[in-house]
Amino acid sequence: MQIVGNFDPHSPPVLPIVDEKSKKMNPTAFYSSSASSLLCVMAAQMVVPLNTWVLISNFKLAYNMLRRPDGTFDRHLAEFLDRKVPANATPVNGVVSFDVLIDRPNNLLARIYRPAPSTASAAPLLTDLYRAPSSDPFPVIIFFHGGSFAHSSSNSAIYDSLCRRFVSLCGAVVVSVNYRRAPDHKYPCAYDDGWAALKWASGEPWLRSGKDAKLRVFLAGDSSGGNIAHHVALRAAESGIEVAGNVLLNAMFGGNCRTESEKRLDGKYFVTIQDRDWYWKAYLPEGADRDHPACNPFGPKGVKLEGLPFTKSLVIVAGLDLVQDWQLAYADGLKKAGHFVKLVYREQATIGFYLLPNTNHFYQVMEEIKNFVGSNLL
Amino acid sequence: MSSSFRSDVGTDPCDSVGDDRWWMASASDRGSSRGEIDGLLQGAGYRVRSTDLRHVAIGLEQLESAMVGDQCAASSAEAVVHYNPSDLTAWVDSMLSGLAPDPNLLRHPQSTATANAWADPTRQRPSSLHRLENHQQHRNVPAVSLQSMEEEEDAAIRLVHLLVSCADSVQRGDSEMAGSLLDQARLALARVNTGFGIGKVAGYFVDALCRRLYPPPLCGGGSAANPEILYHHFYEACPYIKFAHFTANQAILEAFQGHDRVHVVDFNLMHGLQWPALIQALALRPGGPPLLRLTGIGPPSPDGRDALREVGLRLAELARSVQVRFAFRGVAATRLEHVRPWMFQVAPGEAVAVNTVLQLHRLLGDRASPEGGDAAAAEPIDTVLAWVVGLKPKIVTVVEQEADHNKPSFLDRFTEALFYYSTMFDSLEGGSHRSGGHQTQQQQTVVAAVAEAYLQREMCNVVCCEGAARVERHEPLARWRDRLGRAGLRAVHLGSNAFKQASMLLTLFSGEGYCVEEVDGCLTLGWHSRPLISASAWRADDDASPPRDHQTLLVLQDHSSSVVDGDDHLQPAA
Repeated sequence: MQIVGNFDPHSPPVLPIVDEKSKKMNPTAFYSSSASSLLCVMAAQMVVPLNTWVLISNFKLAYNMLRRPDGTFDRHLAEFLDRKVPANATPVNGVVSFDVLIDRPNNLLARIYRPAPSTASAAPLLTDLYRAPSSDPFPVIIFFHGGSFAHSSSNSAIYDSLCRRFVSLCGAVVVSVNYRRAPDHKYPCAYDDGWAALKWASGEPWLRSGKDAKLRVFLAGDSSGGNIAHHVALRAAESGIEVAGNVLLNAMFGGNCRTESEKRLDGKYFVTIQDRDWYWKAYLPEGADRDHPACNPFGPKGVKLEGLPFTKSLVIVAGLDLVQDWQLAYADGLKKAGHFVKLVYREQATIGFYLLPNTNHFYQVMEEIKNFVGSNLL
Repeated sequence: MSSSFRSDVGTDPCDSVGDDRWWMASASDRGSSRGEIDGLLQGAGYRVRSTDLRHVAIGLEQLESAMVGDQCAASSAEAVVHYNPSDLTAWVDSMLSGLAPDPNLLRHPQSTATANAWADPTRQRPSSLHRLENHQQHRNVPAVSLQSMEEEEDAAIRLVHLLVSCADSVQRGDSEMAGSLLDQARLALARVNTGFGIGKVAGYFVDALCRRLYPPPLCGGGSAANPEILYHHFYEACPYIKFAHFTANQAILEAFQGHDRVHVVDFNLMHGLQWPALIQALALRPGGPPLLRLTGIGPPSPDGRDALREVGLRLAELARSVQVRFAFRGVAATRLEHVRPWMFQVAPGEAVAVNTVLQLHRLLGDRASPEGGDAAAAEPIDTVLAWVVGLKPKIVTVVEQEADHNKPSFLDRFTEALFYYSTMFDSLEGGSHRSGGHQTQQQQTVVAAVAEAYLQREMCNVVCCEGAARVERHEPLARWRDRLGRAGLRAVHLGSNAFKQASMLLTLFSGEGYCVEEVDGCLTLGWHSRPLISASAWRADDDASPPRDHQTLLVLQDHSSSVVDGDDHLQPAA
């Protein structure tokens, strides 16, 4: 994909052609006195289905209300607006979930998703839940939900759906970590919680599988969760804990400079540079800038990854995500450090494409994840 | 063909959104009854009827627009009490009725920007009591205002679709279908406000398509108005040309440092608006001004006047007043490719600057392939660039529209133009007029209107004309970079002082939507993050430093003009 200055002539918004005979309902747009913004919204709506557009726009609007200019966050309203679902030990589509307390001092909860125990007819017993789903090797996916370090929880409806899907897709046990969020809890809390989850999983015998009774653990996450997955994997590599693979979905990275994609896509598909800046400021330590290694792992203050037993990575990038240049630089950085990366670039995908199963992007990316996990089960 | 609007939680993969008709089938197409809850959103925790999705989407965008740029949006939103976020329809509606001070304001947000507390970031934070009053006062805003907005939006969207479909029919050669769609577009125009926004832009495009399908007896797709008058108003009404002149002059000034004899070749003199500033800057430069020669190219004057010479005389007068030795030569040519370098009579030892503002694209022909490979045969552009390089210029300043209006496919060009000119028209509407106060509000309105006529004429050429008649063959900066590089020109980076001065120019003259950006040593000026015009600088001189010329120079007072005819003969003007 050739990027030409700030304007990409290879991907001008495409407007659809009306079929004279069908005269179907048009995708919606908003009324504005500005001609170009109406056209842009029409174009944006061309690349996502209407219900996806409504979902993500709803988040965008709500999140705008929650972020205050002074850097504080309306946590109460956030929790009120977030759609949550309870854990459910009764199988639904062959998947059960239950919450566990991983780290008492920090009140760290995680929601475990697993295939319904075979012994269960209705509600499984607790002992059934803590039994390995299979004697054959199965993956354990430690999942970090997105939300730019500030939003969502492991019991958010959108992430409950996604984790359930991972279970069915990969035959996995998914551990969705309810990590501490910004701005209430800044760096490195989220990473510490991720590390605690990995340590916890290492200590659970029922999560081991195969003849060698090994924990076959993957770290996965979207947006800020992808960033957390990287940093937990880094710590694992430094500590000699083996991670089978990393899955980074639209991972959140950044840096001080403004990349071409940020400038080109600013405000075009739900996300603005301004809101990215706010979230980094909320998460990073006081006084830090975006070249902090948490934000910019391959930047000037980054940690060298050469020689470390860093895991393999599946990096998924959406072509309409404004931070894609950072994500691509991340993949590049891993490669240059000698580590395996599979890059999946979805040209016309926006952020959040993986939240609703209504596009090719969704299904094909799920397939990629399934293949990656399957082939790295070791 | 499956639809991406499926509301059932299905496992069938849908067609990729690359299919350009995927959006046409709505939920109702799939046999789901009216009022069915969207299953996927339900999984995400929201209960919305499929039939309400559009309404909710419109509402979300309204709320977003209302909050954009408002520093106190968050705190103001805190005054609102939220109920049942799962019922997205009701939630959006209640927020809308809480936010809208006046339903009519949302129709014309611009004219009432200061009245609308939510859109004006400079407005004082309303007290909590005031916020509550607002909320209570407008709780009873009837839904009909949102509905009529929706209707107008529908009409606008339909209109855009009709335009694009018409362009598609034109491309396929189906003139009957195109004519029919154009008729429908005209009818649709009647249902939108054509005074501003998308209605106005669509009106211009309907007009342009009409001219294409039913060419008026006079070809060219333009109005009878004097192009120079249109240009002058466009120059006044918005900062694009001023930016071009400013930036180019800066680069020329720097390139001329250390040279006693300089020669500027202007590819399109017009009224010479660019040159007073350069003359004055040269007058003030440390060490004194050089001898400045200006060669201005322009079309022959129709009425026996020598317009070029008149401009030259005015500039000479100015130069005299600031004690800059100045000589002018006019070269009249109907087309740039008829000009030959010997007509400039560049003297040895002169530092040459070639200045081309919105001219080079006129020398392009049809692009050979969709991938953008250039035609095998030499185009006029290659000839001209070759002799430009031959002049060994210290600086070549190039300003071009930042758009791709030369794609082989008509539909592609049409869509590009729709986006480009929409943004251009938006900037005319949205950019505040010049401070300085020497123009009344009414005068400013007239200037803006004529400036629009300038744009309309340009756009018409893109849409209506083909072959030699289509001269507005804009190409993006990256293509120009390649082309100029291949011709042998080397890039000269525009520095941070050019950037800073361009930014300062903007704050002096224009509204808040304009943005200057630096891209690989070039500058672009755009509106709301869409670049619309680019300025770059090049050189083709030898690297040797300029010779110091200590001879006493004859002061040249040759203000003659020469006319070039198509056969390449230089004839003295009458």
